[in-house]
Amino acid sequence: MIEKIRSALARVAAHGVLAVWALAATIPMLWALISAFKSNSDLFAAPWKLPSSWHFDNFVRAWSKADIGGYLMNTLIVVLSALALTMLLGAMAAYVLARFPFPGNRVIYYGFVAGMAFPLFLALVPLFFVVKNLGLLGTFPGLILVYTAYSLPFTVFFLTGFFRTLPAAVAEAAVLDGCSQEGVFFRVMLPMAKPGLISVGIFNFLSMWNQYLLPLVLNPDQHSYVLSQGLAALAVQQGYQSDWSALFAGMVIAALPVVAVYLALQKKVQTGLSVGLLK
Amino acid sequence: MRHGRLRIITLFLAAPLTLYGVLVASPLIQAFYISLTSWTGYTSAKPFAGLANYRRLLHDPAFWQALEHNALLLVAVPAITIVLGLLFASLLNVGARAGSVEGVRFSSLYQKSFFLPHILPVVITAVLWQFLYNPELGLINSLLDAAGLGSLKQTWLGDPQVALWSMAAILVWAGVGFYVILFSAAMQSIPKDLYEAADLDGANRLRTMLSITLPLLRETVQVAYVYLGIGALDAFTLFQVLQPDGGPNNSTNVVAQYLYQSAFDNGQFGYASAIGVVLCLLTLVLTAVTFGVSRRERIEF
Amino acid sequence: MLSNSQIPEASRRQVLRAAGLIGLAVPGAGLLAGCATTSGAASPAETWAASAGNPLGVDATAPLDVVIFDGGYGDTFCKYDVSLYAKQFPKAKTALNGIQDIESQMQPLFVADTPPDVLDNSGASAIPLATLVADGQLADLAPLLAAPSLDDQSTTVADTLLPGALTAVQFSGKTMALPYVYTAYGFWYSASLFRQNGWTWPTEWSALVALAAEIKAKGLAPFSYGGTTAPDYWLRPLFSLAVKQGGDQAIIDIDNLKSGAWLSEPMVNAAKAVAALASNGSFLAGSSGLSHTQAQTAWVKGQAGIYASGSWIENEMKGITPAGFDMTFGAVPLLDGTNQLPVTALSAAASETYLVPAQAKNLRGGLEYLRTMLSKDAATEFTSLTHAPTIVKGAAAGQSFGSTALASTNAAITAAGANTFTYLYTGWYPTLAKTGKTQIANLLAGRSSAETFLNAMQSAADSVAADSSVAKHHR
Repeated sequence: MIEKIRSALARVAAHGVLAVWALAATIPMLWALISAFKSNSDLFAAPWKLPSSWHFDNFVRAWSKADIGGYLMNTLIVVLSALALTMLLGAMAAYVLARFPFPGNRVIYYGFVAGMAFPLFLALVPLFFVVKNLGLLGTFPGLILVYTAYSLPFTVFFLTGFFRTLPAAVAEAAVLDGCSQEGVFFRVMLPMAKPGLISVGIFNFLSMWNQYLLPLVLNPDQHSYVLSQGLAALAVQQGYQSDWSALFAGMVIAALPVVAVYLALQKKVQTGLSVGLLK
Repeated sequence: MRHGRLRIITLFLAAPLTLYGVLVASPLIQAFYISLTSWTGYTSAKPFAGLANYRRLLHDPAFWQALEHNALLLVAVPAITIVLGLLFASLLNVGARAGSVEGVRFSSLYQKSFFLPHILPVVITAVLWQFLYNPELGLINSLLDAAGLGSLKQTWLGDPQVALWSMAAILVWAGVGFYVILFSAAMQSIPKDLYEAADLDGANRLRTMLSITLPLLRETVQVAYVYLGIGALDAFTLFQVLQPDGGPNNSTNVVAQYLYQSAFDNGQFGYASAIGVVLCLLTLVLTAVTFGVSRRERIEF
Repeated sequence: MLSNSQIPEASRRQVLRAAGLIGLAVPGAGLLAGCATTSGAASPAETWAASAGNPLGVDATAPLDVVIFDGGYGDTFCKYDVSLYAKQFPKAKTALNGIQDIESQMQPLFVADTPPDVLDNSGASAIPLATLVADGQLADLAPLLAAPSLDDQSTTVADTLLPGALTAVQFSGKTMALPYVYTAYGFWYSASLFRQNGWTWPTEWSALVALAAEIKAKGLAPFSYGGTTAPDYWLRPLFSLAVKQGGDQAIIDIDNLKSGAWLSEPMVNAAKAVAALASNGSFLAGSSGLSHTQAQTAWVKGQAGIYASGSWIENEMKGITPAGFDMTFGAVPLLDGTNQLPVTALSAAASETYLVPAQAKNLRGGLEYLRTMLSKDAATEFTSLTHAPTIVKGAAAGQSFGSTALASTNAAITAAGANTFTYLYTGWYPTLAKTGKTQIANLLAGRSSAETFLNAMQSAADSVAADSSVAKHHR
């Protein structure tokens, strides 16, 4: 009896804590969403009330001033390609670094980690010339390769840790069964690493989606702009013209695909997690 | 496991290393070379200067002040984020009732909402919080008033005593959701029978958490700590948007901002590169220390 | 945006230069650097293939590449200016690109010696002028200034400009850039609000303090300011007080890093006056934590009475300012005691800086483009679109296009006559500029007294003066 009450109280407490944080996380964004419908005057005069009238023209302004449809397409092409390439190359490298001790293993590993540490804008000018000399400046393949290269450090770092925790027994059995090392990776280890892959995949998607400095320097043609560039241009323009409601509208438009993708992927995370449980 | 080792090692590392080498390592090495020059940044001339930039860095009070702020962030942000992440993850996954490995209901809804802040581009987060922190019109102070806690109101971004902590709070707010997911994934891969055994032994939830969950999550927590630590050392965009002048009485100036100012405002690209190299070294030290602490135990089950 | 076709074919020299930059040949980089500074730069000694309609000897077929900062003023006026150029040189292909992040996007072009022909170096991410000058990346605009004006062949371009327009872009006596927008600095208020309450703009500082008390009694804050992003807007009133009392020398000494310049009597009086505002609670509560946009919004929404800024303010706030606000300029009043300059003396400077890079492919075309911008036609078009005055004397014939702010700005410029002044140290010494921002924020927030503020600035100025690695300028 006491157990049941304690249990119930504990559950209520748990919900309470979680609910507080959920509110803290979502209210600011809900506020931005509602503000996107307000006129500029309303935004500042009555920031915490509902809009006096719903201004869909904010969205029209944001959409037309920034060519959001086109930028969205560009971003999808670049990000999805770079994501696929990063996950493949990153997992391959992380697997080898995690499970095969060899001379130079630590050096290569720390080499990747160091890549995460260096502030990006210092590498920008030399990178500009490297990319230009490869003939890849202003091209999508160039941008994709650069995105991949700069996502490798975190991916390798993270997945190496993850691969280390996977049991060796299954891999050994597969080899004894005549499977090649590469086969073990693709058929046995990679599926087992799904939860980790999904987590790091989502993270990479987000950071690529919001990546700004790289396309700024390497993607100068306005027609090829990715969403972050378009949004930043909008922010600066609206900042100078105090058109904050159009900025929020633009932000909502830009965030919608990401939220949609995340909500869709969330189910994958659940499935991935339950696969892990069946071990 | 000897068979085919060399082949897979070279095969799997060839493409990633080449890409990384040409597009990341090579520019960074050039940037390192630039730190040995007095390059201004807007000309092709790069006069060699040896270690002059580093010597200057040692005696630069502005650099050390900025580094102090990063150190404070390094102490606070990872710790708070990880604790909250672990707390929420465990409530979501194993918190439902004693003796079972269920999370609370609606855990999926909670997880979705926790993650939302992470989706926002930093620039938008900054603009959002600028409104939230507005001393007269902002939500934070309005809520404090409504809750009768008006005496706790602050000039969040304008008071040198609280400005840095206000910035740290934003970093925590934006980061927790990702780590909840991370820790959840890790917790889910702990076999249930461990928990059942513990329950049979009479352990309560807290005990379970401390003795079973945490130790098994150690590598994940270390990864989280390193990544959050790098975020604390490299913090830039949020600070540059909300406090472009270094905050009230320079109380929020961080090293990355000082680097940016040296490069772009003061025309001292060589010096800025030196700052970047030092930042890079500090990060490596952080990584080495964090992982070195545990030696190289592999935990398998 | 810059398309690939505008990044020129890698000539042999450029490939070598790029190779040098990748660090393959360290001594090579030094040698090539020597090449870089002498190639392509149009020296005044060159003879121009000038003709009557083309005094700058522009190549009629050479393409023109213009990059502008697309921010508060938009790009409509640029399109107009480019069309004027195209009319004069129909065979020249013109390209106009509007961007925001000048620093990041232009830096690689400067380093590769392929900058545009004209660059509007403005906005928050503008490249510091001093750096470009020190690197020899800018063309001397003397040929432009000496050329005849488009409107009147018998006057030079230089004579068509307002007094003090080019002060801030003089480096060792050479004009290295063209700031296009003439900005008047002072206080701004709502004329309709003042009319409603029977207030008039004072000419004495003590009257302003009394006015502040009246404003406060009405439930408004007398002033607001953006503590986190633009506390330095208040440096203008501060220096205005000092200069009107002590004459131009007060800030000339500061610019020249003279010892004790910050502690001169006019400066002390000025700082005390501003500090008194802080201690009187004359600033909107929480201003130290506001961005300038938030502070300005509070002001136009009627929470504060007066805002210190430059004449861009009307344009910047036009989306939010309520109708009938009647934004009006108020000159900084005079301190008590004797004053060297009349109250109509004006803190004025030109901004929105246009440059012609020394490495520009069509350097003369760039100069010609600027000459076009300085015609009355282009200048009037600009002012009608943006309600901001240009540096061209008498352009827009004093029209205010329905803007009270512009009308009052024009009136202030006329009233000032030759009595304009400005300060230059912020462009010359970025570290000192930054210290200035930090310290004025402290003063406004009431964290420092006038004495602390001035001492902090003096010691920062002394360090810069003593630092031999910083290039020094003089006026």
